Amino acid sequence: MAFVSLKHVEKVYPSTDGKHRHGEKKSNLKVTKEGVLAVEDFNLEIKDREFIVLVGPSGCGKSTTLRMVAGLEEITRGEIYIDDRLVNDVPPKDRDIAMVFQSYALYPHMTVRGNMEFPLKLHKVPKDEIKKRVEQAASILGITEYLDRKPKALSGGQRQRVAIGRAIVREPKVLLMDEPLSNLDAKLRNQMRAEIIKLRQRIDTTFIYVTHDQTEAMTLGDRIVIMKDGVIQQIGTPQEVFDHPKNQFVAGFIGVPQMNFYDARLLRAADGSYKVELQGTYIVPSEEKQEALRKNDAEAQDIVLGVRPEHIALLGDGKDMLHGTVEVAEMMGSAVHLHVNACGRESIIIAQTMSFEGKLPGSFAIGSPISFTFGGNVIHMFSKDGNNLEA
Amino acid sequence: MTRESQSYNRLWSIVMTIISVLYMYPIFMVLINSLKQESAISTGTAFELPTEETFAGLANYENAISTQGFLSSLFFTTFITVTSVIAILLFCSMFAWYITRVNTKVTRALYLLCAFSMVVPFQMVMFTLSSMADSLNLNTPWVLWIIYLGFGAGLAVFMFCGFMRSVPIDIEEASMIDGCNPLQTYFHIVVPLLRPTMVSVAILEAMWIWNDYLLPTLILDINKYRTISMLIQFFRGSYGRVEMGPMMACIMLAILPIIIIYLIGQKYIIKGVVAGAVKG
Repeated sequence: MAFVSLKHVEKVYPSTDGKHRHGEKKSNLKVTKEGVLAVEDFNLEIKDREFIVLVGPSGCGKSTTLRMVAGLEEITRGEIYIDDRLVNDVPPKDRDIAMVFQSYALYPHMTVRGNMEFPLKLHKVPKDEIKKRVEQAASILGITEYLDRKPKALSGGQRQRVAIGRAIVREPKVLLMDEPLSNLDAKLRNQMRAEIIKLRQRIDTTFIYVTHDQTEAMTLGDRIVIMKDGVIQQIGTPQEVFDHPKNQFVAGFIGVPQMNFYDARLLRAADGSYKVELQGTYIVPSEEKQEALRKNDAEAQDIVLGVRPEHIALLGDGKDMLHGTVEVAEMMGSAVHLHVNACGRESIIIAQTMSFEGKLPGSFAIGSPISFTFGGNVIHMFSKDGNNLEA
Repeated sequence: MTRESQSYNRLWSIVMTIISVLYMYPIFMVLINSLKQESAISTGTAFELPTEETFAGLANYENAISTQGFLSSLFFTTFITVTSVIAILLFCSMFAWYITRVNTKVTRALYLLCAFSMVVPFQMVMFTLSSMADSLNLNTPWVLWIIYLGFGAGLAVFMFCGFMRSVPIDIEEASMIDGCNPLQTYFHIVVPLLRPTMVSVAILEAMWIWNDYLLPTLILDINKYRTISMLIQFFRGSYGRVEMGPMMACIMLAILPIIIIYLIGQKYIIKGVVAGAVKG
């Protein structure tokens, strides 16, 4: 267990092909004179025993950041501390960390026991202690019966357990996990996610977990770091980033199905109150949101209005309703995900298949008209450049 | 299987059998003549199987071993082959590991240089090599492995690189995090992974070095050090007289160890040569 501190950490990959010039962008990453900027001014304080999740789309720099903490990538600029020790130039083996890889990275020529014993042997742990720790970890992970098998004789889930076992026997200060569940099928992934939550309660260590799956991030992390194009977009608890996304990217990335966005206009009355005009209907933001807008002195302007699918209500014909046409209806069992063409954009609405009173909703035939609404307390207002006007 | 493809397969088997017999024929000829008396070989009966009168038993083998210093030649050949193969396996696998994992212009150039060395025939460099070996005192069996390392590196590096590219780097990174330094990673992780390729490289290089005639003849002092391939020519006496029986026996003794090694390790050659060609 330890705290980890990343201060102004940057990673630049020198441009080897000579095609990318200063000022250009490569896959939305900045290109400087030195090369492609994969991670830009990364600052994060990770507390002792905290479970931090780095999440973002492919190529956002989350794995690079993790690899810099591991010592597998050189740091171009900045400082990384594990406890109070600057580890920029410390080789991986001397950082007192362990890592679980996406590809498991088990040693194919060793048995499960051999894999788990290997790091302990290298650290010259006494034989009795090695035996004790391996058996204890195997018992926690339910792999005792596979200890004498080679990795090729194990399933994907079992291999991942072995990889986790190899990492935890070390009793490292920091446990790094690089998309450990991405190679597993959906059912096994859910199961292993629960296993990791249980494991976290049993071992005292600091976790840094990388994933592109926002469900994993939300369910596992004490705090989530959302990244895009090498830059941190927001750091916060799962609830914070879900309820108060700092910008349109975070709002769209966190939440399944993703938030609906509409082009709207923020209006400001002479008394300082705000309302949002969307396709001729008016939505009055909640008092809390009005206060935040006033505090930020938000001007009347064209905005992007965000509403989560689960916050949209189908209430039949009424005042201030929005109208659209059902394009696709995805039956999910407990709910139907309706893809609706409304306000010039595709929106997703979640309709429960059975109401609280046990009533079945009407049919959602493709092409049928639909009316919906949402309250002023669930809307998110973003400026045209993507920043949350309330933040 | 259709009748057409069955007859096609049968025809193909017959053709391949004929080719195999043609390849085996010289070795078979050497074997039967090594069991005949001298007079029976040098006359027109060389192509016949030994009869009761011409059968010499193992006399030619005894003769081959007892004269011309066969045992010392066997020792030199074994020593040169073993040291060279060990050097090739050790240095080339380390080198291939490095140039596969460190992707720079220099490593790419080094790889191309190794590949290029495979296409340069030995005859083009043999005289300069011979004088260079003399000036550097590399003209003894004890250090001949240095020269063989140079000539064997092309194929070995090519094969090791082919395999290393198919090994995910995650495994080596995991070992570094687990506590290995680069040398420990090499010996604990890379070498066990390379084992099938190492066996196939070892067999291919051993076959070449064991049977090589030209390089040791040019480099070594022929009066002091003779490999088995060099020894065979000493069964040719003065005035063109050739001791055919012992020579045939010596050839059989020379090729026997390498055939045994090949038969034991042939399955690894296929594995090693195709390693990395397809996703496993």
